Amino acid sequence: MDNAIYTMITRQSGLMREFSSVANNVANMGTTGFKAEHGVFSEYIRNIEAGASGTGPTSLSMGKLAGHATDLSDGGLKATGGALDMAISGEGFFQVTTPAGNRLTRAGHFMLNADRILVDPQGNEVQNVGGGQIAIPQEATDIRVAQDGTISSDGIEYGRVGVFTAPADTLQREGNNLWSAPQTQIVDEPKIASGFLEQSNVNPVLEMARMIEVQRHYDAGQSLMDLEHDRISSVARAMRS
Amino acid sequence: MNALKIAATGMAAQQMRVDVISNNIANMSTTAYQPRVAEFADLLYQQYQTPGTITSQTGSIVPAGIQIGMGVRPTTVSMEMVQGALSETGGDFDLAVTGKGFFEIIQPDGESAFTRDGKFYQNADGLLVNSEGNALADQVTIPNDAQRVTISPDGEVVAYFGNAAAGQTIGNISLTVFANPKGLEALGGNLYKETEASGAPINGQAGSEGFGIMRQGYLEDSGVDVVEEISELIEAQRGYELNSKIITAADEMYAATTRLR
Repeated sequence: MDNAIYTMITRQSGLMREFSSVANNVANMGTTGFKAEHGVFSEYIRNIEAGASGTGPTSLSMGKLAGHATDLSDGGLKATGGALDMAISGEGFFQVTTPAGNRLTRAGHFMLNADRILVDPQGNEVQNVGGGQIAIPQEATDIRVAQDGTISSDGIEYGRVGVFTAPADTLQREGNNLWSAPQTQIVDEPKIASGFLEQSNVNPVLEMARMIEVQRHYDAGQSLMDLEHDRISSVARAMRS
Repeated sequence: MNALKIAATGMAAQQMRVDVISNNIANMSTTAYQPRVAEFADLLYQQYQTPGTITSQTGSIVPAGIQIGMGVRPTTVSMEMVQGALSETGGDFDLAVTGKGFFEIIQPDGESAFTRDGKFYQNADGLLVNSEGNALADQVTIPNDAQRVTISPDGEVVAYFGNAAAGQTIGNISLTVFANPKGLEALGGNLYKETEASGAPINGQAGSEGFGIMRQGYLEDSGVDVVEEISELIEAQRGYELNSKIITAADEMYAATTRLR
């Protein structure tokens, strides 16, 4: 096969993966705290041998999926009225303790477990500013969460929910609304909205437009491969006759 | 290509959301019903290129890797513990709880179940039972000759006989709270059962801190907010449509691939 086909294959497989990430964004339209991600294509140059005469191109440019850029912008806030539902506006993540270590999350749908410790829906403990757990005793009936994460009831403070950040290039998606990062840093003045949940920041209009775009590019690539196939077979026919 | 499977998980999730919403709307008139909310989380990611990978000898690092998600899954359908509005019924044995407490009911198999539905009746023996005939755990029996019965906010049941001005205390209705009421298992019939997640039941006197008080002659309405449910329904329906669009597009891409000779 020749380079035209190879170039198209790199592009087509990149487009397929891009399409998978569009599908994943759309599937997670209703996922609390989900962040959309978009593919970034880049060119890479491959050296090829010069033509027999010593002239002609010596390199070939190919397009490939180079990476994924995560859209870390805030999702809309949905009022739920739940006292322990929290949304972060602006930067930062909540940190939870999982069996695999510390994980970050933007999904603030928290509740108390049987031991009255603040946990996420998977039962992972939510960390306070110092990295410890937050316990809320039985007598705390009217629970309030302040903007800086301080949990109190009747003027008694029971702990402060920690908000942490990590450099965007080290964030790794783990599934279950969780992210991992090798190093995190505390946010001094977080903005927590209590009684709200952050919705997914997937923009359906944008995703549909991208879906159509990827699909059409893919179709164009396939017809180019078709044309190339026709060209080679006509060369073969000409040589046979 | 994963797009078909991913979109299918998205459709299943939105379908489940519609199921939960329809159950909430169906229970918009159920006494003391707590609306449910479906929560979702993203599935695992396929790591094509991990963020932080070093791409050269000089140590340059890829700014963002390639991680492709596998779709979405439901994590919890949790109860929203909201206080429903109180409707006046005038019934002597209609009790509404304002606060977090539950009534304890003894089921026919001897196990305890918990409910916020405070619609009680007298059975043939005068015992207070729920609409299915199962008795309150506090075993309150109303004497036949009682003229009038009052139940105080802290659960004291007082009966008045004949012309006597003062009543006699004939029993007490207690309340039960849980560390995590969202962890209760719903049994249907407005009843809940304790689980590992809810923690052990804590029984106490109504009116003490954290338990709430009782109101005689009232019933707690369903906590469902219909406007909110309908707007959720629209969102779920559109989400379902968008996911099906992805399936159509993925199908067309597959078709383009198979058209290649």
